Amino acid sequence: MKEVVHQYGVELDWVAGLAAQIGGYVDGNYIRIADEVQQGNRYVLPINDHLTAFIIDVTYRQDVVFKLRNTRSDFVGLYFNLSEGDSIHILNNVSRSAGRWGYNLGIFDADLNGDFQVKSGSTTYMIAIFIKKTALKQYLSGIPQHQQIVESIFNPELNTIVRFDRMSNHAWWLMNELRKSPPAGPLYDVFITGTVYGLIADYLDQLINQEIIIGQVLPEDVGNILSSQAWLITHIETAFPGIQALATEANMSETKYKKLFKKISGISPHAFFLSNKLSCAKEMLETGEFTIGEIADKFGFFDSSHLIEQFKHTFGVTPKEYLSQL
Amino acid sequence: MDQERIEFCYHYTLGPEWQHQIVDGIGATLKDNKILTMPENIADGGSIFLEVTPGLSVLLLDMTFKVPVAITRVPTDQNYYMVYFDIGDEITTHIIGNTVHKAGYHAKLGMGFMDCSMKGVIMPPVGQRSYSLRLFIEKGHMKELAASTRDLETNNLLFDESKNTLLFYSHIDSRSKILLSQLKENDFISPSFELKLKSTALYLLGYLVERASRFEPIINKLSHQDIERVFQTSGYLMANLQAEFPGLQKMADMADMSVSKYKGLFKKILKDSPNQFFLNEKLLLAQQFLQSGNFNNVQEVAYELGYSSPNYFAKVYKNMFDTLPGDVLIKQNSSL
Repeated sequence: MKEVVHQYGVELDWVAGLAAQIGGYVDGNYIRIADEVQQGNRYVLPINDHLTAFIIDVTYRQDVVFKLRNTRSDFVGLYFNLSEGDSIHILNNVSRSAGRWGYNLGIFDADLNGDFQVKSGSTTYMIAIFIKKTALKQYLSGIPQHQQIVESIFNPELNTIVRFDRMSNHAWWLMNELRKSPPAGPLYDVFITGTVYGLIADYLDQLINQEIIIGQVLPEDVGNILSSQAWLITHIETAFPGIQALATEANMSETKYKKLFKKISGISPHAFFLSNKLSCAKEMLETGEFTIGEIADKFGFFDSSHLIEQFKHTFGVTPKEYLSQL
Repeated sequence: MDQERIEFCYHYTLGPEWQHQIVDGIGATLKDNKILTMPENIADGGSIFLEVTPGLSVLLLDMTFKVPVAITRVPTDQNYYMVYFDIGDEITTHIIGNTVHKAGYHAKLGMGFMDCSMKGVIMPPVGQRSYSLRLFIEKGHMKELAASTRDLETNNLLFDESKNTLLFYSHIDSRSKILLSQLKENDFISPSFELKLKSTALYLLGYLVERASRFEPIINKLSHQDIERVFQTSGYLMANLQAEFPGLQKMADMADMSVSKYKGLFKKILKDSPNQFFLNEKLLLAQQFLQSGNFNNVQEVAYELGYSSPNYFAKVYKNMFDTLPGDVLIKQNSSL
């Protein structure tokens, strides 16, 4: 498997290195590479002193593992990712399929390195936004709910910025709108800049309604939480195992486990488990081969009405209404 | 009408400095060099001005005037084009040159593109919310963007100010309309608002360039008198949509031009022939009528708009909207 060790940053000194590592070359804003290896475009656009966008729109023709090893720590990466196929995110040797659990937005501190493995044949469409911590701090301090903790958020002794999230419908629309624009010329830069501002704005809106948990996170911690999530997914048909068992499995205290889980995924372990259960139930429902009672039984709900109630709470409609709208 | 209007002159700049004219002239307050708040005795609300990228600035105005005002944008030798988008709830009376350009409900051209050397007067309605957005695009930047959409020679001609005047008025295209209405839902003071405004401004610019690339290039200089006269006739058409098309000769006479000159200028500024423009406006009005709940059947709407044959009306309507008028009709007194 091809291995690419690289770094990112707001300043563009990483571009030539990445191009060389993937066997391509820099051509203006593009990183070009032979079509046999990867088809598509990589485009870098510095927007201002504290903001750079990197657009990756490629189909891979070989397996690649990208090893992100930042040397700068003055920025945060916002990764809006619409990948299809097998791309795997690895942190501390825990692998999971990107997007598998509906995460398509990652927010990572430059300090937090990770590996990203891509299988041949998969298609990546990603907008990575590198933003200086000083600038992000200014944006966040505009949110009244977070004003008091903004200093702590950006204090590396107290906190590591890491979050797996889901992009909003508007963010998804923006990315698709950009994708329609021919990837060349000054007009493309106009659309990219508009998209980037829109995506950041959208994420700020998302943050208004979220609790930000202050805490230092090591890559091993992230790995442990992700493997714990993976474990929950593979046991999706059973009853919730309880925090104690999960914490033990993840080698953490219960308090630490609960806090970290919520910090990086925004929801509690139980809410995570339930929402994935319901997603699986919904998929099963869509096949049309099972009754609600059978599905409730399979995923360990007390009975049909319990499933119906939870389903309605999560998706806004009852399973029956949902089916009629398919 | 009877109340004396407060008259006020100013001009925009690509940078934030123009705002001081509003502060000095009518006593508005300026915060952070970007947020203007109008004095209470004149209007509620204010505006926000941002420099988006080098060569692009945006101004969003949300004001409800309490007294009649006439705001004159004086010609300036600044180096930008201005694009105007009206997203208000009600009519803003617009004057280009000396022609009253009523952006009315039934005949509203919500978008205009003009050179900063062009004079403009706005008389916002009293007691109604005025909500509008303006882009200021540095001329060189606009030319560069436009050059990426068409051949260089035509582009150079289009942007050669000794040979051509860039100006057009039209409806807001639907992609831009969606963005503007999304923006309108947001609060000025929300922490993400400035980013959203910037994002919207950039997308509007992108859409504008894409749209303008589909316009047939008509290269000529426009005098202020030409522009005024064309707007007089388009205003006449929009105020008389229920009548029949008066005919090109009559329109040209009204503008005091030859028919061929008139046709060329009209198309240049309004992006359609007078006849097509009239038909489009008529059908847009038809759409309003059909959905207004004030009519019982398609026939009534057809007659109201001066069509003697409801079948013919249905045919042209379908040509424009891809649906039959009967399919969108909301009948009088019908409950939904």
